[in-house]
Amino acid sequence: MRTFGPSEFAFLLAAVRWTLLLSLVAFCGGIAFGFLIALARVSRFFVLRGLAQAYIQVFQGTPVLIQLFIAYYGFAVLFDLRIEAWTAVSLAFTAYSAAFLGEIWRGAIQAIPRQQWESAECISLSYFAQLRYVILPQAFRISIPPTVGFLVQLVKATSVAAIIGFIELTRAGQLMTNVTFQPMIIYPIVAALYFVICWPLSQFSRLLERRFDASRGITQGL
Amino acid sequence: MPVVALRKVSKKFGKHVVLDNVDLEVAKGEVVAIVGRSGSGKSTLLRCINGLEFIDSGEIAVNGRRVTRNLADLRRLHREVGIVFQSYNLFPHLTVERNVELGPTKGKGIPLGAARKLAHDALAAVHLTDKLNDYPARLSGGQQQRVAIARALAMEPVLLLFDEITSALDPQLTGEVVRVLEELAAQGRTMILVTHEMGFARRAASQIVFMHNSRIWEHGPPQQVLENPKNPEFQTFLSAILRN
Repeated sequence: MRTFGPSEFAFLLAAVRWTLLLSLVAFCGGIAFGFLIALARVSRFFVLRGLAQAYIQVFQGTPVLIQLFIAYYGFAVLFDLRIEAWTAVSLAFTAYSAAFLGEIWRGAIQAIPRQQWESAECISLSYFAQLRYVILPQAFRISIPPTVGFLVQLVKATSVAAIIGFIELTRAGQLMTNVTFQPMIIYPIVAALYFVICWPLSQFSRLLERRFDASRGITQGL
Repeated sequence: MPVVALRKVSKKFGKHVVLDNVDLEVAKGEVVAIVGRSGSGKSTLLRCINGLEFIDSGEIAVNGRRVTRNLADLRRLHREVGIVFQSYNLFPHLTVERNVELGPTKGKGIPLGAARKLAHDALAAVHLTDKLNDYPARLSGGQQQRVAIARALAMEPVLLLFDEITSALDPQLTGEVVRVLEELAAQGRTMILVTHEMGFARRAASQIVFMHNSRIWEHGPPQQVLENPKNPEFQTFLSAILRN
């Protein structure tokens, strides 16, 4: 039997990169797709609004674990296609974060007073120019703290990927526990590694929240 | 050809009639002051003229073209008609200069150099060339409102609409904004104002329009209309204002 030593620690540390990579992929994919979701949510087209809303409700109203199972097994069952765990988890977490980020940004866009849209319209800006030059820059500032806050949640949520055998930090912890039988050494270290990633992000988020305090109105410059 | 012509314009919000068979013509260079109590339909009238609200029946023509719901037509309308609101509605994330040049660059597609020149001229017209790089939050209400006027002017509109633009300002700040309005009127610009500033209306308006209960009851040159109000509602309105 192995005992916990430097090489076991190195194994955990190496798995951190997969947690980070998965978080990063899900976050970036979520930004791109979530942006489209947010735009659809505030669109003047009834159908687009409905579709985006349905998407958000489904992904916010079901556990990410089940979404993961469906992504993993769904391809095999529906298309007779075996996909790798990595593909499944990155797809599932991208879809998941798109729903949450889309909803955060919808709120930010709708927090901008209607008069801002009107004023932009009245200087002959097209709909997209109104969004790009007037609405989104203001919504962006409002949405930074909740967006970073969500990123912290996302990093922790990726631990669920362990279940389908994707070897990220939590799965690496399980594997090391299986060979060392030292769960009370391994898991606190795993927790500490998550903390090391998330704590600076939380602090960053708090800093941004103070900086963009809603009660002070919009702060100039980032 | 009048700059603005309204024929039998009616509009409801739900069951509530806000404009009832309104006729109005504004010729080039005219300054029209619309007065009346709150809720009489004055602001809605302005908003219908530049397509922020749509009418239920009748017709509005600006510069000879009908106001429709067509998006391309509306964009052209917004190049020809500038509006200034009571609550300024400047873009808080942009400097004064960027606020004013946004319309010319992104609304009309004018190159930045020429647009900046338009913006500077417009800001000169409202006496604010020293505030180019300030953000709106750093300005007083009167200054913000003058920036909003400059933002409308920079589009080189054929018609300017002002919707109670001094109502949120104290008397001193009102004075500086009214002075700008009088200068614009003296330049021969075509303007329609919803206002409670009867002194300004008397001095600068070519036509005073009294609205009450969604209709126009009286209109004409200030001397004629103010000295000799025929409608009892207008008499009551005027005496209430003069008492203050």
